[in-house]
Amino acid sequence: MATMLRGIRAICGVASSQVSVLNATATRACATGICSKKFFLPLDTHQRHNFSSFSAVTKSTQKRMLLQCVRSYADLPELTIKQIKERVLLVLNLYDKINPEKLNLEAHFMNDLGLDSLDQVEIVMAMEDEFGFEIPDSDAEKLMKPQDICDYIADRQDVYE
Amino acid sequence: MAASTRSVVLSLYKKILRESKNFSSYNFRMYALRRTRDGFRANKDVTDPAKIQELIKQAEDSLQVIKRQVVIGHLYSTDKLVIEKDTQS
Repeated sequence: MATMLRGIRAICGVASSQVSVLNATATRACATGICSKKFFLPLDTHQRHNFSSFSAVTKSTQKRMLLQCVRSYADLPELTIKQIKERVLLVLNLYDKINPEKLNLEAHFMNDLGLDSLDQVEIVMAMEDEFGFEIPDSDAEKLMKPQDICDYIADRQDVYE
Repeated sequence: MAASTRSVVLSLYKKILRESKNFSSYNFRMYALRRTRDGFRANKDVTDPAKIQELIKQAEDSLQVIKRQVVIGHLYSTDKLVIEKDTQS
């Protein structure tokens, strides 16, 4: 732990000495990669100490550098069954050949909604775009009701109650 | 229509629509989508196997043309039209 902290301080020292040349982007990125929230406080005081010796560094630059130290992760929020249903129905409502009044989770695309197999292919494509994964043809031909689509997506995305 | 032909046609339909969506030019993109939908629907009642094979061949050729033209379209792409700026920003 102590050696790691020292390592980070060394990097920050490099970072702060280069800020005056307005070329800190690369080193900042490197510092960001290493610092986690745990190290935020000691780093904070140390950086301030270092910066104070550089009059060229403005307050806003300092602030920006400190903000960069928080690591952030990118991930989708988790889906729920209810959300899947809402999104499936929204996509179907927006499809111009479906009458929104007739649409419900148990309505059969061909028997109840009067669509043909080409429309069904297009619906599956719209679902692929909406949920961001590909549905193979062998599975796609079994999806005949909005409820089937919901179940299939919940199955594939590991969503369960 | 035999089950295998049916799945071939449906998968061709999907592939052509997918590829058509990649056109960078609005006019070509919309034309390709519209032409694909209309073309497949216009021939949906064809039952003669020889005619079906011929149409499948034609669709495969069109798919190749679309793929090639999408690439060429990207090489010479222009700014988006005013009408698409709202939806596809």
